Amino acid sequence: MLKSHEFSYDLDLTMQPANGILRFNETGTIESCIGDKAFLTLTADEVAEVLVIPGVGCGLICARLNDGSEVLLCRFTMSCMKEAGEFCKVVNYYIKTREYAAPEKKEKPVCEKCGRHFVGELTVCVFCYNKIGVIKRALGLMRPFAGKIIPAELFITLSSVLYLLVPLFSRKIIDDYLRPMKGTFQQILLLAAAMFLARAIGELIFILSSRVFNKGSILFANHLRNLAYEKIQKLSLNSLSKRTPGDLIRRVMEDTTVVKEFISDGGRWAMEQMILFVVVFVILIVTNFQLTLLVFLPVPVVCLALSRFWRFIHIRYERQWRKNSKCQAILHDIIKGIRTVKSFGKEEMEIKKFSDATRELAQVSSDNEVMWAKLFPLMTFLTGIGEFLVLYFGGYKILNGALSFGVLVQFSMYITYIYAPLRWFVSFPRWLADAMTSMVKIFEILDEDIEIKSVTEPKNVPIAGKVTFEGVSFGYKSYEPVLKDINIEIKPGEMIGIVGRSGAGKSTMINLLMRLYDPNQGRICINGVDIREMDPEHLHESIGVVFQDTFLFAGSIYDNIAYAKPDATVEEVIAAAKAANAHDFIMKTADGYNTLIGENGYSISGGERQRIAIARAIIKNPSILILDEATSSLDVETESIIQDSLNRIVKGRTTIAIAHRLSTLRNADRLFVIDDGRIAESGTHLELMKKKGIYYRLVMAQRQTSKLKEIS
Amino acid sequence: METARTAAASTLSYAIDIGFLDPKKVEFYKTPGGFTGLRYAGNDYKRVTLRRALPIKHPMEYISVADQENKEIGMIRSLYELSEKQFSIAMAELDSRYYSPVVCEVKSVKDKLGYVYMELVIERDGARHVKNCAVKDVNKNIRMLDEDRLAIFDVDGNRYVIQSLNKLDKKSLKRLEPYLF
Ligand SMILES: Nc1ncnc2c1ncn2[C@@H]1O[C@H](COP(=O)(O)OP(=O)(O)O)[C@@H](O)[C@H]1O
Ligand SMILES: [Mg+2]
Repeated sequence: MLKSHEFSYDLDLTMQPANGILRFNETGTIESCIGDKAFLTLTADEVAEVLVIPGVGCGLICARLNDGSEVLLCRFTMSCMKEAGEFCKVVNYYIKTREYAAPEKKEKPVCEKCGRHFVGELTVCVFCYNKIGVIKRALGLMRPFAGKIIPAELFITLSSVLYLLVPLFSRKIIDDYLRPMKGTFQQILLLAAAMFLARAIGELIFILSSRVFNKGSILFANHLRNLAYEKIQKLSLNSLSKRTPGDLIRRVMEDTTVVKEFISDGGRWAMEQMILFVVVFVILIVTNFQLTLLVFLPVPVVCLALSRFWRFIHIRYERQWRKNSKCQAILHDIIKGIRTVKSFGKEEMEIKKFSDATRELAQVSSDNEVMWAKLFPLMTFLTGIGEFLVLYFGGYKILNGALSFGVLVQFSMYITYIYAPLRWFVSFPRWLADAMTSMVKIFEILDEDIEIKSVTEPKNVPIAGKVTFEGVSFGYKSYEPVLKDINIEIKPGEMIGIVGRSGAGKSTMINLLMRLYDPNQGRICINGVDIREMDPEHLHESIGVVFQDTFLFAGSIYDNIAYAKPDATVEEVIAAAKAANAHDFIMKTADGYNTLIGENGYSISGGERQRIAIARAIIKNPSILILDEATSSLDVETESIIQDSLNRIVKGRTTIAIAHRLSTLRNADRLFVIDDGRIAESGTHLELMKKKGIYYRLVMAQRQTSKLKEIS
Repeated sequence: METARTAAASTLSYAIDIGFLDPKKVEFYKTPGGFTGLRYAGNDYKRVTLRRALPIKHPMEYISVADQENKEIGMIRSLYELSEKQFSIAMAELDSRYYSPVVCEVKSVKDKLGYVYMELVIERDGARHVKNCAVKDVNKNIRMLDEDRLAIFDVDGNRYVIQSLNKLDKKSLKRLEPYLF
């Protein structure tokens, strides 16, 4: 049996839906079939490369033959895009190495059972996951807090049950004392007092126990939050980069809150109501079986009607909510871009846009108000149906002498306990589902594998030796390679400049070296050791990096500089700041190094930000220094000052610098020019200038523009 | 005002050459490999890609023709300026680049936490196919192209079109209704 890799595609060559298979087997045959008929066969010997060509809503795989002609292998919709990329990788790998390598199984973004997409960044299906398992696990996590939560819950229920006594007392007053007109004043006083007491005690118990309960649920939420947070800290960068920071933050903060609220509000309330329901049911049955049946008869109908009603309302209000957020978005835009709006004289247009949106919002809102006003009485009517029935039949029976007046009063008092909660009960499933999803999201983080490979036997060689990229290919999306077959060697202590158009893949090379992503093919070594075999922490300790978009934490300037080396001395911090030419501007602020920056602090300019970031990168004395357009927001003068000090720092250190202004890189030992994901040229500034290739043209173009600037 | 603007626009288009191709000299042909080639002004391009500049408002005008390396060869002002034969080859190429199947029925719509799952029935050559798709950000991804035409963009990047909401059956419309506005 030949090993083969198959790609199932879903369109035929004329764009009609079809079930096709593109097969590649280990002998190097490529075969495209629809149904059982293979309509195209090629061998890898004829093919130079296969590639995915994305269209709009669809794509195709094209084989570029050795003679330069091209053959269409298959067409497919976007649903197959990922697999198509995989297929091309397998074939291209074979063409290059003559080795057949089956791709690793990738997790599919759809559910195996039902074929639906996963919600957000979940890797389980919200339709098919094991619901019982999740609840069990959540309960298990709650165990340490059960000592608080369960008794509190019981007491809360007890307090509600005390309320339930009130109708019983009423019945007694009416039937035993009032109707026969023979009760004494004391008896009535006694009962009234008992009623009062039941309420008062109930209220007291409620206040006390719900405090305990809330405390318990807050502790539980904190516990969850800490678990998730700890886990995130431990995860390797690689698995973190699978998710966006926003998603991780939401999981730690929002999802734990959702779970907490469910426990303290929804879940608790539901449990309470359930118990009350049962208690009332039993009391009613014992009091009068027939009348109880009458009370419950309309319950299913009412439930159904209410759930329809809610769906209807929900859709309408969601629409209103969307209109509202549209208005806000417009407003936000206008305010943020007010300078642009004014400078183009487009105020009128913007005002019209906004007023149109608000008019629409007003329309929807008022429609909803009207509808609500119409429907609310209907809902009250529905929940009051039981009462009608009871009053009618109860009254009928009283007249026949088959029922006491007190029982009727008692019934009509209890009815509220049965019907009022129904209003909310119908939305309970949604509530529960939200909480479950949040729980699943938290569990996913807790279950994430800490990549053992990087931890068990890390080869932590000193990060001082040469850095090599060996046949590195990489793409953020499988069908769009960003880097193709990069082979470079950087000697220790060398200063390397990387140049290329924006979007060429310069920053991507840095991301790979920092192991924020792993290459799809090839490897990156430091001192001959694959960086994937190192401890990421060790790697990051020895590399200082200033990214294109620098991030500063909210806090003082001092904290930000010392971030990479918390035990740094004050002298070290000042030295680093001086080296980055940040000292002078820091000293101009009133609070010096204690100046707060970030969200609510002193607002600093882009250039100042970059200088702080440079100081932060060099304070830990890294053996490799990476500057990704670190000086791009600086004016030429400041840049050259920093450049001077950088030149001092850079000495003896491997430095990789990416710069927009090519003049910055003039004293680089070697330059790499990246074009279209490949190393197009390499050499010193002079060599490349002589070559009159891409680099020469870039330099000339920049000279041109800087000359223009000088003139103007 | 209007004339002033067109005058300004035309000076701009004089200053910057959009590079329209001469529709008379354009010669598309089918390659043996299954692609579309182009012979123009003495050059033979083995595979060209046609791209619409304004796919919604002007699907038949302003068509950019690009070569194998995705470099623009030039633009076609209007497909109707081509000869009948050229037109049909160009249309076939466009149809295979822009895939947005026409939906004739919406079988189900389920809302789960920000994702809307739909079962759409698409009809091609009389055969009906059911497509499962998930839509995120309904506000953005279910939108009216004009008065009556609706587009649905799913998370994979597929796009579906409902040609006329007015002609859609009542049930389907009711299922979609909450997401239209
Ligand atoms: N996180 C990302 N996800 C997807 N694509 C990305 C990402 N970062 C960069 N790209 C794409 O990769 C290409 C190379 O980007 P980059 O390495 O940042 O270029 P530059 O040379 O300007 O630094 C660009 O086409 C960019 O759109
Ligand atoms: Mg960059």
